[in-house]
Amino acid sequence: MKQLDMDKTIILLKKYNLPFSKPIFVNSQQKVAKASQGLSFPIVMKIASSDIIHKSDVDGVKTCIKNASDAEESYAQIVKSARKKAPKARIKGAYMQKMEQGTEVIIGMKRDAQFGPVIMFGIGGVFVEIMKDTSFSITPVDRKMALEMIKSIKSYPMLSGARGRKPVSIDAIADIIVKTSKMTENKNIMELDFNPVMANESSAVIVDARIIVG
Amino acid sequence: MDSKIKKLDALFNPKSVVLIGASRDSRSVGYGILKNLVSGCFFESRYCKPFGGRVYAVNPNAQEILGVKCHPSIIDIKEEIDLAVIAVPAKIVPKIMKDCVKKKVKGFIIISAGFGEIGPEGKKLQNEIVAIARSAKTPLIGPNCLGIIRTPIYLNASFAPSIPPRGPVAFLSQSGAIADSIIDWAIEYRYGMSTLISYGNRADLDVHDFLEWLYDDPETKAIALYIEGIEDGRKFMEVAKKVSARKPIIALKAGRTAEGASAIASHTGSLAGSYEIYKTAFRQSGVIVADNIEELFDLAKALANQPACRENSIAVVTNGGGCGVLCADHCSALGVKLVELKKNTLQKLDRTGKMHPAYSRRNPLDIIGDALPDQYEAAINTLLGEDYIHGLIIIQTLQTMTDPEKDAKVIIEAHKKYPNKPLICVYMGGQYSKKGAETLESHHIPDFNDVSKAAKAMWVLVKRGEMGKN
Repeated sequence: MKQLDMDKTIILLKKYNLPFSKPIFVNSQQKVAKASQGLSFPIVMKIASSDIIHKSDVDGVKTCIKNASDAEESYAQIVKSARKKAPKARIKGAYMQKMEQGTEVIIGMKRDAQFGPVIMFGIGGVFVEIMKDTSFSITPVDRKMALEMIKSIKSYPMLSGARGRKPVSIDAIADIIVKTSKMTENKNIMELDFNPVMANESSAVIVDARIIVG
Repeated sequence: MDSKIKKLDALFNPKSVVLIGASRDSRSVGYGILKNLVSGCFFESRYCKPFGGRVYAVNPNAQEILGVKCHPSIIDIKEEIDLAVIAVPAKIVPKIMKDCVKKKVKGFIIISAGFGEIGPEGKKLQNEIVAIARSAKTPLIGPNCLGIIRTPIYLNASFAPSIPPRGPVAFLSQSGAIADSIIDWAIEYRYGMSTLISYGNRADLDVHDFLEWLYDDPETKAIALYIEGIEDGRKFMEVAKKVSARKPIIALKAGRTAEGASAIASHTGSLAGSYEIYKTAFRQSGVIVADNIEELFDLAKALANQPACRENSIAVVTNGGGCGVLCADHCSALGVKLVELKKNTLQKLDRTGKMHPAYSRRNPLDIIGDALPDQYEAAINTLLGEDYIHGLIIIQTLQTMTDPEKDAKVIIEAHKKYPNKPLICVYMGGQYSKKGAETLESHHIPDFNDVSKAAKAMWVLVKRGEMGKN
């Protein structure tokens, strides 16, 4: 079992027509400066290493980067702290990505020995394992089931517009869930996390994908 | 019905049974099973009777045990044999089975232990016996199981202590020991069962095969499962989905702690624990999940005896205010809706001329502590007569003037008049309300000693109603 690298991940997501916030790979401060010219800030920067599964555990993620000089500084920082906290990891560089706005959700899949592929949905972000506010469906998951999954979590009001929040597009999330279910036809994909998926009023986009292949 | 499933008739409705491995030692399994076959039970109970079919015994070293002639081998029996129950040491089971195949038995129950559960050697032996059964196209239960009980024909082909009362619930247990204690409990609390199956290592027949057979069984109205693990999850889901559309299935799953192992690679891996996935599979196939043994049988009792609640809109009638409030609390926590009583309903209640001047005039309908059967009758019939009330929880606390038996008759009559609206009773108490509670239950009206259980029972009937709409 190993984690797919970013290039292969993107190819796979494209194949299944999954919306993905495209990252730009950089491996030097010069390249950060150059890439900054074509980006609209704020942006996010993440460490690029197949050996690091939980990027925030090694301080390998920087958000709210406001301009090019911020970006260059951030690059130096995350590479330094990742090297320090994960000395054995091979660090390729970093990814720069548009900072998507919205509510963080997680969509995942694992294969169960008895029941086969299972799709998970939940409120996302770094606290996903603490909150454990998730719902599951065994594949195949159709649109109706996907909508039920979304509506059955406790924090559903966070998505449907509680306390004056703008409701997010449940349809767009359901669409990703259904496509994730479809993806399980590829038997090499053993487990995956789309975390976070950023959902706003009109769309939902995968910001980070971790795909484990067998 | 699938011909493979049709063959299970030989296991649950045999005309003749042989026990191979009958024993004279009263402390042995081979004696216990024979006694169960001959008289219905090891420990006497008012529910046991001898099995109506022919019973044979095989023991090469005995002449006769418990009045049954012993044959040296099954081959020596002249008459036709439907079901072979085998309780001999594991290593000679294949040989015994081959004799049975020659004799053309139609079903096997292998009680013997020492197969897949002990490791690779046992697994090899298990594969061997499955191959024998399958090549003869003969269904096999076990090995390493307690056996089966079929109450309508007083067939007790097990070493369970006794036989439960006949009733509408089938119990499939992956644990023989739990089944044993449940039988003892069922006798004490008059809990009716149609079939009890301990399927042990499920080497040949698995839980989905039994579900499929029970689908067409007129004696079974609800199915209770105790499950430790399911081998073929997708097959289970396919069958359970079909069966649960006709008959409710309730499952209790053991082993709920999250598994770790390969889970660290992703959030999904660590969050999608085995129990979460089982619950998901149950939900997707229409199986209702119970939290503990008592709840498993409480829910099965409600589902087997009462119709589903068509709408989530129920009422509570009580002669005790406190119990009414508690019941409302439990209903609310479970999402069971206590509907607001319409003005018109209150007028109807007033017009009966039976209501206490201080009755609550709202749901829960407190008809006051001194309520007599007349008051119960007026309240119950008025509420059940309303189109917007789809089920009723009836609570009776015991005061000096309370008449549990007459109240029971009132409730039974109301149920006859409104058979499509579920009734759940709470006869709170013990000694002095017991007889009334028994009367209720003998007329298929579930009674519980606690309002929380009644609320849960109504919850499951509401859930069943919702499932029917999807």
